[in-house]
This record gives sequence, C-alpha cells and structure tokens, in this order.
Amino acid sequence: MSHDTQFHVHHDSDAAVGRRERLGVRLLIVADGSFLFSMIFSYFYLRNLNTGGNWLPKGVKHYTPSSAWQVAIPFVIAAICHRLGQENKERRNLTSIATLIVLLVGGYLQWKQMAHMPFLLKDDGGVVTFNGAYASNWVLMAGTGIFHYFLGAFIALGILIRNRTTNVSHELDVWRQRTAQSWFTWCAIAAVLTAFTLSIV
Amino acid sequence: MSTLDKAHTSTRPVPNPKRSLITRLHMGTGVVVGIIIAAIAYYLLKHSVLTYTDGVADPLEPHSNNIVLLGTMFAWSIGFMAGIGAFIGPWRWLIGKDLTDEEILYMAGDGQGVKRYFKYCTDHKVVGIQYLVGVMTLLGVGGTMAMMIRTNLARPGGHFVTATVYNSLVGLHGITMIIAMIIVATGPFGNYVMPIMIGAYDMAFPRLNALSWWVLFTAIPVLCSAWFLGGIPTGWTAYAPLSVQAGPGMNAFIATIIIFAVSTAVAGMNITTTVIAMRTKGMKWNRVPIFVVGSTISVALAIPAFPTFMVAMIMTGLDRTYNTGFFDANMGGSGWLYANLFWIMGHPEVYVILIPGVAALMEIVPVFVRKPLFSYNAAIMGFAGIAGLSILVWAHHMYIAGWAPSLNGAFMVTTEMISIPTGLLFLVLIGTLWRGKPWMKLPMLSVFAFIWDFLIGGITGIYLSDVPADGYLHGSMFVTAHFHFTLMGAALTGAIGGLAYWFPKMTGRMLDEKAGYISFWFVQIGFNVLFFGMFMAGAEGQPRRVMDYAAMFKNSNLVSTIGAYSVGTGMIILLWAVIHSSRHGKVAPMNPWGAKTLEWTVPYPVPLTNFDELPVITSDPYGYGKGK
Repeated sequence: MSHDTQFHVHHDSDAAVGRRERLGVRLLIVADGSFLFSMIFSYFYLRNLNTGGNWLPKGVKHYTPSSAWQVAIPFVIAAICHRLGQENKERRNLTSIATLIVLLVGGYLQWKQMAHMPFLLKDDGGVVTFNGAYASNWVLMAGTGIFHYFLGAFIALGILIRNRTTNVSHELDVWRQRTAQSWFTWCAIAAVLTAFTLSIV
Repeated sequence: MSTLDKAHTSTRPVPNPKRSLITRLHMGTGVVVGIIIAAIAYYLLKHSVLTYTDGVADPLEPHSNNIVLLGTMFAWSIGFMAGIGAFIGPWRWLIGKDLTDEEILYMAGDGQGVKRYFKYCTDHKVVGIQYLVGVMTLLGVGGTMAMMIRTNLARPGGHFVTATVYNSLVGLHGITMIIAMIIVATGPFGNYVMPIMIGAYDMAFPRLNALSWWVLFTAIPVLCSAWFLGGIPTGWTAYAPLSVQAGPGMNAFIATIIIFAVSTAVAGMNITTTVIAMRTKGMKWNRVPIFVVGSTISVALAIPAFPTFMVAMIMTGLDRTYNTGFFDANMGGSGWLYANLFWIMGHPEVYVILIPGVAALMEIVPVFVRKPLFSYNAAIMGFAGIAGLSILVWAHHMYIAGWAPSLNGAFMVTTEMISIPTGLLFLVLIGTLWRGKPWMKLPMLSVFAFIWDFLIGGITGIYLSDVPADGYLHGSMFVTAHFHFTLMGAALTGAIGGLAYWFPKMTGRMLDEKAGYISFWFVQIGFNVLFFGMFMAGAEGQPRRVMDYAAMFKNSNLVSTIGAYSVGTGMIILLWAVIHSSRHGKVAPMNPWGAKTLEWTVPYPVPLTNFDELPVITSDPYGYGKGK
C-alpha cells in the first residue's frame, strides 16, 4: 500500500469526534434493540404457546394496558424535552431539568409497579412465585424499563451539570446533545413498543 | 526489561497528573476492591435473603442461595472495575470535570513500561497484548480440560475422573473454548494491528477499549468459581430447564455469559466505529485490508447476536432466583423458548468466530504469493453473505427437538445456501494461490491447513444440515468432530497463522520458525487424527458428552485420544515458542515479509499514536506485481 505523509491530523475536529460518538451510541442501540426484540419474541411466543393454559392462569390479576403506557409516556416526554433544549440553547437549563425530573418520575412509577405486582403467589413458607408466563415476561420488561430509566437519568443529570459547569466547544456540545437525543429517542421507542406489547394480554 | 519497555520509558518523562486517583489504581487495587465489594454483597444478601433454622440456612431454598451467589459474582465484577478505575471517566463526565490531557496521556500508559499491562490502559496495543495473553490462558485451561476428557475416553470404562467432574469438564471446556475462540483473532489482532492497518492513531473509544478487556477479565475468575460450586452439568449450551434445575455452579455460567455479552457489545461497537469513522485519508472502502473488513463484519454481527443469549441467561437467572417460569411448562414456560433464543445467537456466533480467522489468512496469502488478492469483492460478498444468512439458519440445531417441523425444510435450504458464500472464500484463497510460487514461511502453512480442515468441516456441515441425515447424526460424536473442524480448523488455524504473521510487529522479534514448524505438524496431524476418530465413532452411533461407551467404539476413541495428545504437545511447543521468542527471538526488521499494508510502515515499538503523521492512501493494499 503506497502512502505519503502530507496529511497531518492527530487531533480530530469536534465534528469528527461528535459524529463518532453518535455512531457508537447508535451501535449500542442496535444491541439494546436486539435485547428488546428477544423480550418481545419471548412474550408473544409464550403467549401463543399458552402451555397448559398457564400464560395467565385463571383468577390471576394482571396490569391493565394503561399502566404499561403510564411508564412509557415519561420516556416520550423526556425525549421531547431534550429535543426542545437542543433547538434553543437559552432554555437548555430548563429543559434539562425537566428531562431529569420526568425520567425520575417515570423511574419511580416503574418501581412502584414492580413493588405492587398483582400476580405474585406466596406460599405458607413465604416463598414468592410469579404466577404464569405473563408475569415472568412482565417482570423482565419492567426490569429493562428500570435500567433505561436509570441510565437515562444518569445522562440527563450529566447534561444538566455540564450545561452549567463545563467549558465544551459549541460544536462538540451540539454533537453530544444529538448523541444523547439518539439515546432518549430510542428509549422512547423501546418504551412504546414495550407498552404496546404489554397491552396485548 | 524488554525492548518494548525500554522504548516506552526512554522517549519522554512519565506524565504525572498530580493528585489524580488514576495514578494509584491498578489490577491489584481492582482485585482488592472487587473482593471487598463481593464480600459485602455476600454478607448483606446472605443475611437479608436466606432464612435460617437453628443457625443453618434452609436447604429448601436454593433460589435464595442463587440470589446470594449471583449477587456476589456481579458485585465482584463491578467492584473490580471500580477498583481499577473504570468508572473515573464516567464520573468525571457526570460532574463536568473532564479528564485533563495529562490524565488521558497517563491512562494511555505513556512511559509506564510493563506496569501499563496491569492498569486500565487505553492504548490499543496494550489491550491487544492483554487479549493475546488472555486468549492463550483460556486456550491453555480449555485445552487441559480437553486432555482430561480424552484421557477418560481413551478406553471404555475409563475412570480418570468421576461422572460429575466429567460433566463439568465437558461444559467448562465448551464455554471456555467458545469464549477463547470468539476473541482469538479480533481480540489480539483487532486491537493491536487493525487501527494501524486503517491509518488511525487510536481506537474510536480508547476507554471503552480498556473496559471491554477488563470486564472480560472479571468473568474469568467467575467462570473458574464454577469448579468450587459443583460444576456445570449442562454442557456449554446450558439448555433449560436443566440449567434452571442445576446446582450452584450454574450461577457462575450465567454471570460469565452476561458479563461477556457486555464486553462483546462494547468491543464490537468500538471496532465497528473505528473502522467506519477513523480510516485515514484516501482509504476508501475498496482499499481497506481484508482482515479489517472481515473483523468488522464479524463484530458487527456479534452486536445484535449476543444480546439474545444475554436475555436467555437473564431469564435462566430469574427462573433460578425469583421463581419466574420462562422455561417451566407448569408455569406457562417452554424449553423451546430457550433453544430459540440460544440458537438465534448460537449460529451467528459460529461465524463471529470463523470470519476473522479466514480474513487473517486472506491477509497473509497475497503477501507470501506476491500476487493481488484474487477478487477482493468476492471475499467481501462471501463474508457479507455468510453474515446475512447466519441469522436465518438457527433452527437447524432444533430439527430433533420437534420445534416447528414444518419449517425444517426452509431451514435446511437456508443452511445449505451458506455453502455458496463459503465457497467464495475458498475461491478467493485458491484463486490467489493459483499458479503462484508460495514463500513457504510459517504463516503460510496455516493457509493450506485451513483449506484442508475447513473443507472437511464445511462438507460434514452439509450432512448435518440435511434433515434426514441429521436425524441419525444429531447428538453424536460426528457433530462434535464437525464443529471442531470448523472452529478449530478454521478460526484457530487462522489465528495461529495471524500470530505467526503479526508476531514481529507485536513483539519486535521473529517467532522461532523451527519450533513453529514442529508445533504446526504436531497440531495438524494430531487434529486430523483426533477428529477423524471422532467422525468414525459418531457415524457408528456414539453419542457425545458421555463418559463411557460400548466396546465397539474403543478403537476410534483410542485413535482420537492419541490425536489429542499430539495436539496438546504441539500447542505446548507453540506456547513455548511464543514466550521464548518474545524475549529471546531474533530481532525483527520493520517489514520482515515485505507486505504493503500500513502496519508494516511503523517501527517497533509502535509509537503511542502509531504515526507521526497520518498517512494518505493512494492505492489498494494488494498491489503486488503491479510495479510501484
């Protein structure tokens, strides 16, 4: 391979760094998407199989579809808030606070649902069992929701603090906001898909 | 002090970011913090989850024990990462105090000699060497287990190990080797050589590069702990519900896979981003070295593939700890769900392993035949075709399981279609060799070995893809021989070729050629003897994974065991050659093979940022015989 040495750049431009970071996050989203696909596949597979009528055994309560959307909507609002902040730098402090608060509220709602699951069975010895395959799938999806909320809140908190303290170049800052937008948008999409799935009991 | 160390301590003063925590953290602090966090997690979980009767934990609560063990294992991993400094970057980002230039330079290991191999070092060359040592260790451990298995099977009624230990040996050998094979080429060469090959000064995300290695490192003791927890009785496939019912050792398997999946996703993302976004000026896609293309396709395939296995393991973990019922038919679950999720990952994973090894050999052939790579585009189509089809074939592993019999025909067709892109790979190699005069150095031997081994692996795969034939051969030693011919015959052979080829660049010394030749013949003859014996036993009906067998299989098993000892001897010689040559081998010139790719244009030791000035590419990397 022939080469010469007329091109001398060791420190990439902010745009190049930003573009690279966004690509990296999008590839991680592919991995997360595969994770979500596996859960949805599992949900519908076991639902259609309904082994021994134990998808949702008779008499077992389940969450209503609206409760699934309750924990999805905060993700959508957070993604919109972040987007608004991107469009107008002057209100970015406000929107980043709003993003963080919405994500914390969403995380709390998800946690509350997990703490009051209606489909648990408790035997005399205090051993808890998830009653039916619906319950098993629900808890996995809820756990993923909690993980997304935790990670989203970490990113939102970082953005909030960095908006106030860090001296990042304008161009790199714009790219990093876009990168965060990719993640928040994905979380919103994932939450909507999960809510849609859980709506079909 | 080796040449490598001298160079890294003599160029400029060691960066000294004062009062930075980074300077005080290393592998030792990682181990200490990991153990402390794991001990705390163990204590807290044990006293909050387990119930006691007269001071003794209730034996009827295996779920609680599983919670304690899994929690402790993850706590070790997180604690180690905290102790080695992996979270300093994210924490500093969070509080808005980014790492200073001096800290970044320190983390790159500048001027720290051997110490940097034991730190959270971001230099891709250090990570490459760490992966190489890790791969050799895993191969050594997995190979030793293989020797024990074959010793037990040397004659009928063998009792070299107990049945329980034998079961664990089979499972642990399998998963250890699978992990080793996944990282065998992309780990060492993908990290050390690949960024230089594309003219980049580093990986796209250096800190994540270190993270991918050290996270994987934390999985090794977790996997080893399975020995002390009763072993893994399920084989590496860990089929449910057996894996749900298995003893505490299974927790180690689950934690290992989840940790490994995180490492793989991060590494895959990093390598893919580096190749897409950091190629030097002039390096268009049709000028990218074929090893880079193959490795990128491989890791890009791993990105969506491994999360499905991770989900299956999380489900298994939940079934074992929180009484969910993903795989329990009494609770609406199904073992088929596990089989589907596992093989949706499992078959692409075969090609994640295979492609980089083949690509390494394609990198070698033009150099040693002094001819351009025959049909670069066909090679790429071959890799892409294999990757694309690999996600459509998973159910051929489940013909006999009875899942969706009406789809067997479709999966048979997609599986057999993989022969077409695989054939392209053979075409490219043979086309490049055609009428050439090979320079028969050590790396070149692997090319011929690959053509022979992988031809057998591929053809026997066609038998197994055929539904009626699979009905007879499924679960037999024939299957074991087939996949060893593909994984070991292709991926490991390719990686050994790659090691011989890039060894001078990675160590500054030539690999001992005589020892290399001796090792090669011991391994290749032994390998063929070993697995031909296994083909015979399997074709006669001997099931795999059994510790004893009928007298009618004794000859083929004895042949296999003799072959295994030959492979073991060859690998020990290779290990000796690598260790000895890296310290006392003949000093290598900058470009001992006269190759045209960029890694041979940089001196050894490779500078911290690889190039003083980034090169501009003006032609393809295989322009042999075309003049200047």
